[in-house]
Amino acid sequence: MTRRKTDDAQADEYEIGHPSAERARAMNEVAAAISHQLNGPLTALLLYVGDLSQNSDRFPAADGTGQSLKQVADNALREAERICALLLRIGDALEAPLQEQTAMTHGREVIAWWSRVGNADGAGSEVQAARAACEPLTPREREVLQLIIEGCSNKEGAARMQISHRTFECHRAEVMRKFAAKNAADLIRLSLLIPKSPSSSLWRDTQ
Amino acid sequence: MDALARQCPGKSLNFKKPILRILVIDDDECVGAAIQAILARGRHETTLALRACDGIKALQSPGFDAAVVDLFLPGMSGLDTIAHIRQRSAIPIVAMSGFRLRNPSNAIDYVSMAMQRGASTFIRKPFASQQLLEAIDRSVNCASSIGGSTQ
Repeated sequence: MTRRKTDDAQADEYEIGHPSAERARAMNEVAAAISHQLNGPLTALLLYVGDLSQNSDRFPAADGTGQSLKQVADNALREAERICALLLRIGDALEAPLQEQTAMTHGREVIAWWSRVGNADGAGSEVQAARAACEPLTPREREVLQLIIEGCSNKEGAARMQISHRTFECHRAEVMRKFAAKNAADLIRLSLLIPKSPSSSLWRDTQ
Repeated sequence: MDALARQCPGKSLNFKKPILRILVIDDDECVGAAIQAILARGRHETTLALRACDGIKALQSPGFDAAVVDLFLPGMSGLDTIAHIRQRSAIPIVAMSGFRLRNPSNAIDYVSMAMQRGASTFIRKPFASQQLLEAIDRSVNCASSIGGSTQ
């Protein structure tokens, strides 16, 4: 929370519309969690395809199909390696201000969050809840949400909207409640997963 | 790539390779199964544990030659698991992880954190079979050259 405040103070010194540190961090966290989840299946795939390719000389060769099967296995390995190389490059770009003491718990939290939200089996129930919550947001609440996403503190958000500190806090609490978000980071991550389509009522007024 | 081929079917080089008993701790069952299949090609025996506590329990029985531990596990984390194992045993530990979030300025990464806690070596997911086999060889050779007793 204290870090958020200093980030907010810095963000306001720069131009408005500059993606805030908080938002950039949330984006990196979401990307890291997604690529982490890709790592498991890709590891298994690479091992299996590598094994197929290594043993492809044992494919039946009687009618010439052995040779083409071998080629297919080799091609499959090459494609799997290409995807892995891509994932490594994505991973290289993911940075976040982690402290040594909190790096592990932070990583675990992000991974757990994504497996709750983004798992194919769960069909992203939290995202659906967030999407459902879009409709009842009042225009004021949408404005507050946008300011939170930009990294504003309560005080700065209130100043920007020219409303009282107290009123801003009320709107904020209401947005958090509607999104069922536990904290600001949760809210920002959830908002990243909601498509910014023109039909989405959440973004229509703010974009 | 050819490390696997070298060790694969019962050909000449296989005689020199000892059969290893390896414990794999990874919460992704499919990854564990793939590792098991690959290690079986090298004639190694693999025991899978989905949780840190199961892995630690398994290690109480002697006879394992190496442990392969994922860093992000539910319950007890992989880092704590490595520290816990290292306090009690000199068994070679290969740490593995695919999580890539890092700090640009302080260069905190999970690799060095795992090594600090006693991992013998580290591989990044996704890895090819050759990398896995080399990492296990490396950690086992290193441990045996240091002091011998890896029980």
